[in-house]
Amino acid sequence: MRFASLARRTAIVSSLLIVCSAHIGSPDAVYEGAAGPYHVFVRVETPPVVPGVANVFVRVTGAGVQEVGVQANRYDALAAAPPPERAKPVEGEANLYSAPLWMMSGGSNSVSVYVRGALGSGKAVIPVVVVASRMLALDPRLGAGLIVVGTFLFVGLITIVGAAFREGVLAPGEQPDGGRKVKARTAMALTTAFMALVLFGGSKWWTGEERAFKRSIFKPLKASATATTGPAPRLDFLISDSIWRMRNDSAWLRRNSASRWTPIIPDHGKLMHLFAVREPDLGAFAHLHPVTADSVTFSAALPPLPPGRYRVYGDIVHESGFTQTLSAQVELTGAGKDATKLSDADDGWHVATAALAADRAVLEDGSVMTLAAPAGGFVERRDATLQITVRTADDHPLSLEPYIGMPGHAVVTRDDGSVFVHLHPSGTVSMASQMTFLMRRPGDSIAGTLSRRLQATEMTHMMEQAPDARGAVSFPYAFPKAGRYRLWVQVKNGGRILTGAFALEVQPAKS
Amino acid sequence: MTSIVADRVAVQSRSSAAVGSIPWPLYAVVFASTCIVVGLIWDISWHRTVGRDTFWTLAHVLEQVAAVVAGLTCGWIVLHTTFAGAPEARARSVRFWRFFQGPLGAWVCIWGTLMMITSAPFDNWWHNAYGLDVKIISPPHMVLAWGMFGIQIGALLMTLSAQNRAAEEDQRTYSIIYAFAAGVLVTMIATVIMEEASVANEMHGSKFYMVTGWTIPLFLIGLSRASKLRWPATTITAIYMAISLAMIWILQLFEATPMLAPIYNPVTHMVPSPFPLLLIVPAFAVDLVMQRVGRGRDWRLAALIGLTWVLAMVAVHWFWAEFLLTPAARNWFFASDQWSYDARLGPWRYEFHNLDRDGAGKWSPLLFARGIGIAVVMSMVASRLSLYLGNGMSRVKR
Repeated sequence: MRFASLARRTAIVSSLLIVCSAHIGSPDAVYEGAAGPYHVFVRVETPPVVPGVANVFVRVTGAGVQEVGVQANRYDALAAAPPPERAKPVEGEANLYSAPLWMMSGGSNSVSVYVRGALGSGKAVIPVVVVASRMLALDPRLGAGLIVVGTFLFVGLITIVGAAFREGVLAPGEQPDGGRKVKARTAMALTTAFMALVLFGGSKWWTGEERAFKRSIFKPLKASATATTGPAPRLDFLISDSIWRMRNDSAWLRRNSASRWTPIIPDHGKLMHLFAVREPDLGAFAHLHPVTADSVTFSAALPPLPPGRYRVYGDIVHESGFTQTLSAQVELTGAGKDATKLSDADDGWHVATAALAADRAVLEDGSVMTLAAPAGGFVERRDATLQITVRTADDHPLSLEPYIGMPGHAVVTRDDGSVFVHLHPSGTVSMASQMTFLMRRPGDSIAGTLSRRLQATEMTHMMEQAPDARGAVSFPYAFPKAGRYRLWVQVKNGGRILTGAFALEVQPAKS
Repeated sequence: MTSIVADRVAVQSRSSAAVGSIPWPLYAVVFASTCIVVGLIWDISWHRTVGRDTFWTLAHVLEQVAAVVAGLTCGWIVLHTTFAGAPEARARSVRFWRFFQGPLGAWVCIWGTLMMITSAPFDNWWHNAYGLDVKIISPPHMVLAWGMFGIQIGALLMTLSAQNRAAEEDQRTYSIIYAFAAGVLVTMIATVIMEEASVANEMHGSKFYMVTGWTIPLFLIGLSRASKLRWPATTITAIYMAISLAMIWILQLFEATPMLAPIYNPVTHMVPSPFPLLLIVPAFAVDLVMQRVGRGRDWRLAALIGLTWVLAMVAVHWFWAEFLLTPAARNWFFASDQWSYDARLGPWRYEFHNLDRDGAGKWSPLLFARGIGIAVVMSMVASRLSLYLGNGMSRVKR
């Protein structure tokens, strides 16, 4: 528990948030779904360093819950897993349990939640990306304390050495003569010089460690984007990072001390979910599904977006279960305005034509999408479910057809671009990533084996889905920090992608 | 009240030093020193087996007990000597800031305790900033290590001054206590270099002999020079061997399983340290050389020790390593082939690592010989420095 509070404090005092992982600026994993007969809402506060301590919060719905346990594991450790940690009920909260969980290894990990109670036992697996994400400045009070104590110890050591040379070898009662005193002073001077060297070396060492840590902070693969005009306007997204382009060249990877990325796998049938957001007004948005021939260049037909500078985000899932959001910028000239053919039937976009509301959006077909905020509004770092209902113009629930495997998709971004996250009804987690944990077998060490099995299962799953006649969908989330946010929610009806946009205000947490 | 070291030794100089009459502070600091090394070996085993620890794991408690026992004992000695010490006790102390008085070793122990305490908040911050124990060798761990060494060296100095002041009839008792404290210190050194030089897989590479060539002699030679035993290096390394063997044999008896992921090697019992290095053989050779050369010719002696040490190490460990990699060593006695829970097991377990290879990747006897040559020079320099320190230690009386 000491570690838990330390981790929380660390998050507060961290001097500089540089980058986060699977999404941008939103490192916590949020999952809502079934754990056997129980319904769970899980939030995993991932550690900012590796190894580090994650804080897992589990809200359980279901009668007679007796025990909640959480367990971490790395994607490739199939031989054994540690026993689950028992999560303790959180004081003052109903059905909320929490536990600190040590995450020892960076990369693709999972947090399994076990629930045991009157209804039997259940388990949910939440994929979690664990990476170093920030630098921590030395607390000035701690620094000052260490300097004071360090000076005392430095002086103390020199005094001891002086005493040793002056009196240590004298017979009891004998007084040190002049020669011995000179010897003692010489020894003290030499020790001072030696210790100064040790401290200098220590400081160099520390600087080196800090530099190495800074290098280890996760940075998504480098990418660039270009827009092509002409009869078939196109948006190209290129994963330009050498580590990705040279991923099959073992000698190059070894020379550059780089790890090999596992291949990209489709998430709901799409290798990449590409999002374009116009900056700085956030007035235009697109969700595209580019195609690729080489896993390096991803091309999508450009929808009719207005001109301007756009931030482009590419969400990918690796076969290890690791998810990352690559980003680039592109200047659009409005060339796509005459586009008649999109490269994917699931591509959708939205251009704001009026001021956005926080709770209501009129969709292209005239139906109305509403967002219900929790009592007290949205508050940073607090579990919140974005509850969406869609009703037709004549006030009937709009039937939500499965859109890329689910009733809806949502995208959240902060107005300064420091947060970007792609949400599903199950939370921030990628379904494909989750499936890699559920379906991995010991023989899946050959790249592509697991991916093939996953695709077969996913196709079956997507074909089985039926429309949701209630016209309701919800997205579990916890906003990482206060500020102004934009939310786009996409649903499908009559084969048409409908996008609603909202402008939200997230309040700071009361400390 | 004559219960401080100096007073008690004065009494004992007039009568035989039966074991029961050894002053309690001497027991206390030697106990603290032993706790440190036992706690450290236990803690390493814990991290290789269970992984997850708290401030209160038994291995950590042992370290805390060591700091508390050494700090309180020596703090009490200093305060008592300064404010209520008998004139004889004050006469056998050294002064700190011209006022406080106490035995030299007590000051070093107090300094070590403060270093250990200082390392705790520093280490906590380090964990938050860079990760939980990413590396064993980190700046805050080095502050802790200096503290641990401080307590061990302090304890050693207290036993040393007791030995150096003891009357002839008590000599043997105090010499053995000193040798034990020295053995504990050598065990500590061998534990600190464990990552670099401990497993059999490293013993065909010259790096192993470079590391063991300077680290062990830097301490062992001086410790032996200050001892009054006939076979000091042999005795000290025998104590190292006894402590290390006891630890590996006992640890393996306890069932334990990993509490952290990823588990690539599902261990079922505490994973011990590797079988101790056979330092006793080169130490015996060093004793013979020291007896033959005698005192007063330390430059020549250092050169001979450096050469003897490294050659004896190579002669013993080259073949010993081959045995340790055979199935015959994979048992409770030799504790070979036991790896951490997060080790991805593979054929590397039975191969030699860090071999001296040429550009084409082939093992080169020439490169190995060059490495051994460097190890010999390093060992000679370390031995000379150690002899200088040992000569000074032989005269410590306070």
